[in-house]
Order: sequence, then C-alpha cells, then structure tokens
Amino acid sequence: MDSDTAVKVAVYRHFADTGRAPAIATIAELVGAGDQEVQESYGHLAKGRLLVLEADGRAIRMAPPFSGVPTQHRVLASGVTYYANCAWDSLGIPAALHRPAEVFSRCEASLEPLRLEVGERGPGSSSWLFHCQVPAAKWWQDIVFT
Amino acid sequence: MLFFRSEERVREWCRARGLPPRPVVRMDQLWQLAVTWYATRLEPESRRPGAPEMRGIFAALGLEGDFWDPLADSF
Repeated sequence: MDSDTAVKVAVYRHFADTGRAPAIATIAELVGAGDQEVQESYGHLAKGRLLVLEADGRAIRMAPPFSGVPTQHRVLASGVTYYANCAWDSLGIPAALHRPAEVFSRCEASLEPLRLEVGERGPGSSSWLFHCQVPAAKWWQDIVFT
Repeated sequence: MLFFRSEERVREWCRARGLPPRPVVRMDQLWQLAVTWYATRLEPESRRPGAPEMRGIFAALGLEGDFWDPLADSF
C-alpha cells in the first residue's frame, strides 16, 4: 500500500471508529510517518477530492461522507455519533459503515425534524425529499457551500 | 444538499431566496447514490466516480439533464 493510500485508510477508519476527525499526529503514528509526510499525503488526497482540508492544510474539514465539524446532519450508529457534510452524506455514513443507523436532520424550509431509520438495505419508505441547489458541474467549486 | 418534507417546501424555500427550484430526489434514489459513492470508502482501493461514470450513475437512477451532468457548461 502506498503512503497516500495508507493515510487515506487511517483517516477514514479513525472517522468510522470515533466519529471525529483525527489529529495529524494520530495519523502519523498510525502509519509510521512524520507529520510533514502525512500533510503531503493530505494534499494529494484533497486534490483527488477524498479530503477537504482547513486553511492550515493539517486539519480535516471533510472526509466524505464524514464531517470533521458538527453539522445539522447527525448520524447515530452502534453508539457512535457522526456528523455528515450534507443530506446525501447522511445516508453515505451508514452505506460506508455497512451498519444500521439513525439519521437526524431537518426540513430546511420548515425546520421540521427528520428522524430516519436506515437499515443495511437503506431507509424504509419515506416521502421526504433531497434537493440540491448547485448543479453537478459546480459541486466542487465550493464544496462546503454545496 | 438538503432535506425537505415535500416539493411544496422546496418551492417555498427557493422562492424565499430568489433561487430556481432544482430537480428533487426521492429517498430510495438518494440511498442508491449513497451506496454507489460510499460503500467501499473505508477500503484501500476506494475512489470517487469520475465524471463520465457519474453521468451513467445518475442516468440509471433517472437523474438526467444538464443539472446532473458533471461536464455541463450551461450553468
């Protein structure tokens, strides 16, 4: 496994285990590398759109579907609380974990709470809808806004 | 990328912001997108779908037109 892949797997597995973004030193220890090498891998992974970094290039804002910061899209699975980057990613977390989960979010217009049970084959029947204002060609122009 | 209770709520939210309503996605379609994007995300070989692949994924779910085209230049 090359160093970028090792860093990617370590970051994603840390999110999956804890629901939180790892410190760069934690990843460095897990992969047996220095902070600088890990930061370089972060940069490569960000170019491949597998990570979104904060301005310092060391803190992880997103490892889609996981969010490194609290959001309105919360997912509970096996006793761990996760934050998703968006509505799509809130279903992406149980899909990535291959575990049943509960998704907590809201209707953006009315603020009515959403609580959705998601089994290993997906959510049950639901009339709630997903809406994205940004066309697919522009999603990554400002992925935090998207 | 947000949840809404109904199409009426989508229109209400867009109208209040002077934004055009976009196509809505059902929850079963969203689950298929989530699985396609993320089911292997914890594995070493995982990767994001490329643009041509995305076109096929969206089309298979009935999500077609320039809005869903990652290579569209009409926006």
